Amino acid sequence: MEETIISPGSTHQEPEYKTRTRKKRLTSLKKYMWGYLFLAPAIAIFIVFLWVPIIKGMVYSFYNIDFVNGNIFVGMDNYIKILNNPDLLLSVRNTLYYMLLTLIIGFWVPIAASIAISELKLFQGFARIAAYLPYVVPGVVLYGMWRWMYDPVGPINAVLGWFGADPTSFISDSRYSMIALVFMETWQQFGSAMLIYLAGVLSIPRDWYEAAEIDGAGVWSRIKYITLPSMRSLIVLMLILQLIGTSQAYQSQLAMLDGGPNKATLTYALLTVKYAFTQLDYGAGTALGVLMFVVLSVLGIVQFKLTKEDY
Amino acid sequence: MKERGILSASDLQKPLNKVVYGFMVLCIAFMCFTMLYPIAMTMFNGLKSNQEVNTFPPRFFPTVWHWENFSKAWNYIELPMFLKNTMLIFVGSLLVTILVLGLAAFSISRIRAPYSRAVYFFILMTLFIPASSYMIPNFVNLKDLGLLNSYWAFWLPAGANAFYFLLMKNFFDGIHPEIFEAARIDGASEVTSYLRIAVPLSIPIFATLSIFIFSSAWNDWFWPSLVMHTEDKYTLATAVYKYVINARSLDSSVKFALLFMVMIPPIFVFLVFQKFIMRSVSLSAVKG
Repeated sequence: MEETIISPGSTHQEPEYKTRTRKKRLTSLKKYMWGYLFLAPAIAIFIVFLWVPIIKGMVYSFYNIDFVNGNIFVGMDNYIKILNNPDLLLSVRNTLYYMLLTLIIGFWVPIAASIAISELKLFQGFARIAAYLPYVVPGVVLYGMWRWMYDPVGPINAVLGWFGADPTSFISDSRYSMIALVFMETWQQFGSAMLIYLAGVLSIPRDWYEAAEIDGAGVWSRIKYITLPSMRSLIVLMLILQLIGTSQAYQSQLAMLDGGPNKATLTYALLTVKYAFTQLDYGAGTALGVLMFVVLSVLGIVQFKLTKEDY
Repeated sequence: MKERGILSASDLQKPLNKVVYGFMVLCIAFMCFTMLYPIAMTMFNGLKSNQEVNTFPPRFFPTVWHWENFSKAWNYIELPMFLKNTMLIFVGSLLVTILVLGLAAFSISRIRAPYSRAVYFFILMTLFIPASSYMIPNFVNLKDLGLLNSYWAFWLPAGANAFYFLLMKNFFDGIHPEIFEAARIDGASEVTSYLRIAVPLSIPIFATLSIFIFSSAWNDWFWPSLVMHTEDKYTLATAVYKYVINARSLDSSVKFALLFMVMIPPIFVFLVFQKFIMRSVSLSAVKG
């Protein structure tokens, strides 16, 4: 019985049902109008200032960019040009050397310092501020400051002179120039990493140490089996961030030494910058950028996999 | 009883641990010294005579205090103009960030219109593309748009920062939705609930963002030197790089006085807001 009542009704109502969905869609558009209006400027800006350059970069790497006479399609010429440049291999080697140095000289310092500072009973706040203070020194001031520090008549040579060493010009000697830059950057940047690690160290429950001590664990084994394993994921994350950052480094190399002496500090990103802004060969510069993008996106995917929980 | 750390009170009774702990404290003291020494030296070198800066071995305190170096430095380049340019970039970028990115984050976090999830991933994807790989097309793009040598080349791209967007979205997610529902029942439009409820409640995150934006406006020297090509548009960092770091004939003492003056505002900001800044440092851990 019921079916016979419903079925004629439902056939009769079908056009009305359709108008209702249309109405529904209209009201939902009205309801969410502000939602879309709020998103619109951000979408437009992201397209114009981020996605367009990213996609243009892929396209421009096949063009000869000429602001006056217009761009000319040149196929793979830009890639052939950069791959035949002996500086490319040199710059890759310099970049890898730089990344290795930042790991050896810089990477462990904030970890050790954060554990040490967390154990301070007095002046902990002062030590934190002192460690972080160089991080707020602007880059240009840093360069001026450290050129003098490394100067043959500067304070570092004065200290080495006490031990009988001859004055050396650290930044203009190609053996030491990259190491000197890494020391300078470690000085500036380790404070910020240290604070991140310190938050990790201080969040470890104190009872764990208590329990370990009762079980007879010494200080070193407490650090080795409790502190460091608890910081493991943080350390891995910071390592990846550092590798991504250092693989793109060029600013201090450019400002302090302009890639010299004798191309000893010519990193990959600096080569890119030099192609574009000293030789004004934007096509070759973007081609180098595309090559770097391919390599770094692998690192980026690994980072995303590791930090997924955070988003 | 006091909170224990890795070491307990009884550990410190053992002589070996005492020695190691003492050595550690010495290391931290040495670290603090090396951190503060170059900053202090920049100040004292700015107060020495030029000959004294270049004497070997370097002396810590100046023998004669040359305060006039600072007035020489002030007159050497047009500091007020470069300062004005830097602040213009800072304020404009902050406004665009709050208006454009803030509205988008609010929409995705609170209004949740259909397909906003897609927009969210569209924005987040840019986090994983290394900035230096599109630096040059970015420059060419600005040139094509005719924005070179204009402040818009800094203000508009400020709205294309996925990291700041993520910070604000996460913050809005943490605001209780009941507040917005109550406002809606009282007849508030979406614009009102953003401006009158979300913005006042989000002062902490806006303060964090303004510190990040301030430090990038104050520190970036390379990108402004490419985008701005007339002297009257240079930012402070660019001007210092061009006229002070690369200057050949400038007296070292005046140079240090200038560097010290440029260093003072960010250090001052840091010391005033240090508790707050140290807390927001952990936010930058996710910054790619």
